[in-house]
Amino acid sequence: MWRFLAEAAAVFVKDLRSEFRTKVALNALGLFAVTTLAAVSYTIGPYRIAEADRPFLLSALLWIVIFFAAMAGLDRSFVKEEDTHTAPLLRLSADPLVVWAGKLVFNLVLLAVLMAILVPLYIVLMGFHVSSPLALFAVLMAGGYTLGVTTTMVAAIIARAMTRGALFSVLSLPLLLPLMIFLIQGTRAAAEGSPDGVTQTLRAVISLGGVMTVVSVILFPVVWHE
Amino acid sequence: MSSRGGVHRVLPWVLFVWMAVVIWAAFLWAPAASGFVGQSSRIVFFHVPTAWVATLAFLGSCIASIRYLKTRQPIDDIRAQAASALGLTFAILATITGSIFARIMWGSYWNWDPRETSITFLLLIYAAYFALRGAIADPERRAAMAAVYAILAFVTVPFLVFIVPRIYWSLHPDTIINVQGKMKMSSRMLQVLFASLAGFTGLASWLYCIEVRLERLRRARQHEELI
Amino acid sequence: MKRSIRVEFDELAKRFDLRVIFRGVSGRAEPGEVLVITGPNGSGKSTLVAMLCGLLRPTRGSIRYVDGDDGELSRDEWRSVLGVVAPSMGLYEELDAMENLRFFAKVRGVHDAESLCRDLLGRVGLDPGRKTPVGGYSTGMHQRLKIAQALLHDPPVLFLDEPGSNLDPTGQDWLEGMVLEQRERGTALVLATNDRREMEWGTRHVALSG
Repeated sequence: MWRFLAEAAAVFVKDLRSEFRTKVALNALGLFAVTTLAAVSYTIGPYRIAEADRPFLLSALLWIVIFFAAMAGLDRSFVKEEDTHTAPLLRLSADPLVVWAGKLVFNLVLLAVLMAILVPLYIVLMGFHVSSPLALFAVLMAGGYTLGVTTTMVAAIIARAMTRGALFSVLSLPLLLPLMIFLIQGTRAAAEGSPDGVTQTLRAVISLGGVMTVVSVILFPVVWHE
Repeated sequence: MSSRGGVHRVLPWVLFVWMAVVIWAAFLWAPAASGFVGQSSRIVFFHVPTAWVATLAFLGSCIASIRYLKTRQPIDDIRAQAASALGLTFAILATITGSIFARIMWGSYWNWDPRETSITFLLLIYAAYFALRGAIADPERRAAMAAVYAILAFVTVPFLVFIVPRIYWSLHPDTIINVQGKMKMSSRMLQVLFASLAGFTGLASWLYCIEVRLERLRRARQHEELI
Repeated sequence: MKRSIRVEFDELAKRFDLRVIFRGVSGRAEPGEVLVITGPNGSGKSTLVAMLCGLLRPTRGSIRYVDGDDGELSRDEWRSVLGVVAPSMGLYEELDAMENLRFFAKVRGVHDAESLCRDLLGRVGLDPGRKTPVGGYSTGMHQRLKIAQALLHDPPVLFLDEPGSNLDPTGQDWLEGMVLEQRERGTALVLATNDRREMEWGTRHVALSG
């Protein structure tokens, strides 16, 4: 167990170090999030939406921005290994689950950084009133994890394809559709301060994340070694 | 061999007659349901079976995919591919028939009610599945990646089909048997619907067998030419 | 003591879509021997090496790793007994030499990684203290670092795909010494090359026709 953690940490630290020196994923994610946010806040702004519609529409917009930013950057860690031809040696050196765990944590950290910057900005720029910030935080955490675990798996798949283009989003979005619906409703519940809606969402999101984790642990070695 | 060949020759004709009767019954024998605009309820005899086949094909594709990852036999990949091709076709048909009905009943072609969302999900999954297959040249890798993707999609289905509608409202008419277990349709309608379900399942199985044989021949020819 | 492992392959074939790379390729690499794979450009030498490492599945045929004492190894175990140098397998360009080696040592669970990595870098003629990212290295220095990476865990099976490419005469002499020493110590070597000097080291040969 300790050996597994140490090896996974090595993969994570390696990715983090590479990312700090090149900043490819961070730039893609950050720039995408900021431009989309600017566009949304410029065209829609805080007061174009009727008071009653605000919790729902603002929740939906928030998650659309987060999902699309995720699509722009979360495939980098796998795609880069293939593009720079480092994947074969990694495959021959490391245990597949070690690679999965390291990359998953890396993607989760990217998502956490993205949300930490984006969400407060969004709340301020869009005048999003959140009755229960703690509930919002829980929804963001659970949602971030499930989003990360799903996209990590899809990224591993598309990294092995030749013509990637839009493949990452094409493959990810159908898998993320239920998650997106849950998260929008959960965020709306947090904004309106309805604890029932929040717990319902959290239950659904966490079980989806759990199922995805189990399936990933079983299937990642297949994808990685294919 | 000859008796089996004989059965194979007869079955398509049985299917042909069966489907012809179903089509006739759907328009002329079954009554129009009350509470629906005009004759619009008749589309149920075609819409429900296509959606059923699309779902069945999805299940078949997932089973074949799991088998492929276990056995690594190309035939299981062929089965998964054939089932998905069929599923895609029928999902498109279900979407078209569904949105025609939605236009008549609720005034717009598309409402994003949970069941419409489910079928869109199936469509997106099938489209993604074939996009993925098209992007990988190595046949062994293509088969395995497609299989993994099918399984990933499969585990998200219950969330979309069962959990999402529980949290949100639905415009869609209740499924055949509603919550209290009471049949809403007249017995004639039900008879036609079940006959149609059986007919469509038979039709899909037939198409599936043809597609599997065809793909096998295609691949066998490639192998003969090349290896 | 190093494990003695034999690599056997039988009737291998690989096809990508409509293109057959090779077919009907058989051979084996015994401990203490060098199997040389030759063939014109595009004949599939690198594909064969990747396949023997377990990076690609054959369309037809089988590959077996056999331990003299314990019998056949499972596919998952191949990784831990092999080292490889190949043009298509790169290192992390934005990390420096020590960071690269340290990373591979850690994920392989090698003990005393720090001193081992320093030692190896010294042996291939690179400076462990040098902090430049590998991306700024010359191709020859790159090649030396790749060789060091392959030797990290002292593997009983060693694949060398064009190992002498981009090496200067001193480097080539060093490479020859390394190959002969590994042969002496019972490593099973597979060498894909068209270099006449390197072909001389072989004890068995497989020629791909292309």
